Amino acid sequence: MAVVVNNLSFAYGRETVLRDVSFQAPAGKLTALLGRNGSGKSTLLKLLAGILTCPRGRIELMEQDLSVLTGAARARLVGYLPQFHQAVFSFTVEDVVLTGRAAYVTTMPASRDRDAADSAIRMVGIEHLRRRPYTELSGGERQLVMIARVLAQQPRIILLDEPLSHLDLFNQARLIGLLKRLTEAGMTVLAVLHDPNPALLFGDCIVCLRDGQVALPPAGGAPWDSVFLSEVYGLNLETVPYRGKALIAPVESEGGKQNGNA
Amino acid sequence: MTLLQTRNLFYLLLPLPVLFLSLFIGPAGSVAPPGVLEWFMAKLGGGIPLADAALQMVEEVIVNVRLPRVILAFLVGGALTVSGTSLQALVRNPLVAPEILGLSAGAAFGAALALTVSWLPLQPTAFAFGLAAAAFTYFLAVSRRGVSVISLVLAGIIVTGLFTALLTIVQIMNDPFKLQTIVHWTMGNLHNAAWSKVRSSILPITAGAVALICMRWRMNVLALGDEETRAVGLNPEREKLLVLVPSVLVASAAVAVAGIIGLVGLAVPHMVRMLVGPDNSKTVPASIAFGGVFLVLVDDLCRAMTSFEIPVGIFTTLIGGPFFIYLLKRAKLGFGE
Repeated sequence: MAVVVNNLSFAYGRETVLRDVSFQAPAGKLTALLGRNGSGKSTLLKLLAGILTCPRGRIELMEQDLSVLTGAARARLVGYLPQFHQAVFSFTVEDVVLTGRAAYVTTMPASRDRDAADSAIRMVGIEHLRRRPYTELSGGERQLVMIARVLAQQPRIILLDEPLSHLDLFNQARLIGLLKRLTEAGMTVLAVLHDPNPALLFGDCIVCLRDGQVALPPAGGAPWDSVFLSEVYGLNLETVPYRGKALIAPVESEGGKQNGNA
Repeated sequence: MTLLQTRNLFYLLLPLPVLFLSLFIGPAGSVAPPGVLEWFMAKLGGGIPLADAALQMVEEVIVNVRLPRVILAFLVGGALTVSGTSLQALVRNPLVAPEILGLSAGAAFGAALALTVSWLPLQPTAFAFGLAAAAFTYFLAVSRRGVSVISLVLAGIIVTGLFTALLTIVQIMNDPFKLQTIVHWTMGNLHNAAWSKVRSSILPITAGAVALICMRWRMNVLALGDEETRAVGLNPEREKLLVLVPSVLVASAAVAVAGIIGLVGLAVPHMVRMLVGPDNSKTVPASIAFGGVFLVLVDDLCRAMTSFEIPVGIFTTLIGGPFFIYLLKRAKLGFGE
């Protein structure tokens, strides 16, 4: 197991976000984190990335206790793509990607760091943006740049908070293809996805969060179990068989208004 | 890599001809360029005859008046600019200058205090109060979750207000003669530059500048945001302090010897970014070179234009202000949106 989370609880001040969360993500697989807005997905990812520190519970990444790792050691193990990002200075794409190398650099990046940034840029397929100012890019292009930055970091686990947002269909498919190739090469990917369908089609494992607690698909059942997902999203869902897997779609109800998850 | 080294060499060598030529410039009517050239030739030719009183006078002017002044102008200009560049990366706001941390107001109060209380040494007191004001700002802004940019800027405004009020109290309590000295100090001037001022400021400025040069690439990381910094393995709070402390050190040392020289720390970093781009691994060394050269040239103008001394701070504001407005209107500053 690449990621092992045991009894994790977290609160922003008095507002409890995660309650006694335990789950595991296998190495070399793409695990999708699903759930409604505010269910604690992004918080969980930030805890795994070491962006937030957690007083209660235990996180192990590649058999190492996250809480005792130094910043640089952690960054070599796990990379993180934040959900929102804005830049003030018009750094070139190259310079932004290069900042992913911070854990390997003392004062100035060496040629080995430039090579890593370079191959990350090629992997994501944004060679044509290399010298463009980051601030002049579209939302989707920025997303790709930040993904290249995570890859330049060369971690063994990558945590992506909604990597498909802002991307057009072409780039979504391309990114999913890249993530599949990375997992085949041994990388562990944990991605928060707002749209469950790519998760159902391409994810190896599914972990759902509901009100700060883990909800797992029924044992032995498929993750596209409509009763299970309907509960997770608080919405009447219907599964549509598709190529041996299934997609889900909301059922149109008479009143048009769906049950919330009370 | 070799390109990088050539570039660094360029930054190192660019100021030298400017510094050298500046030795020829002085208030009209005194030691004129031909006289300086004659002295220089004599010096190269094996020394100056003791009997030549005119050349001895030229030597006195060059060595003890112009040389320290040119060096001081370079140090102060480089310090204010590199401090501004670094702080702009730190707070991720290109409209920030060293003054924002309250250090100028603190140093001005310290200077006023030293000019009032005779046993207080002027420069060390101004320096200490500049540092104290910036530290006060930092501790006002810091919370359990670190230092947010907005709280830092707000705390800076409060501390600036506080020290400005204290400065006003000192000014009111003083007699007109001392008041004039205080006001003149706050205007920012280089005309009483001396080797003693160079000696007292060169150490903190050099130490701070070296620290900032070491941090130059990591400023790029920091400029992308706190979470983004943490995600790649650096602690943003530690990195901020590593940029903040040397920035405050160099700016306080500069203000302590030259008073408040406006707009250099704000406008020159933008000129530098227009020239070399936003990458801090280039802007930091370039800021030292160009910032230093900028103030030396403005001070040359000051000395050449009039036979009496206009404080250089007034000139930098008069030149920098309109230029900055022009840049803003053309929106060619090195930041987006």
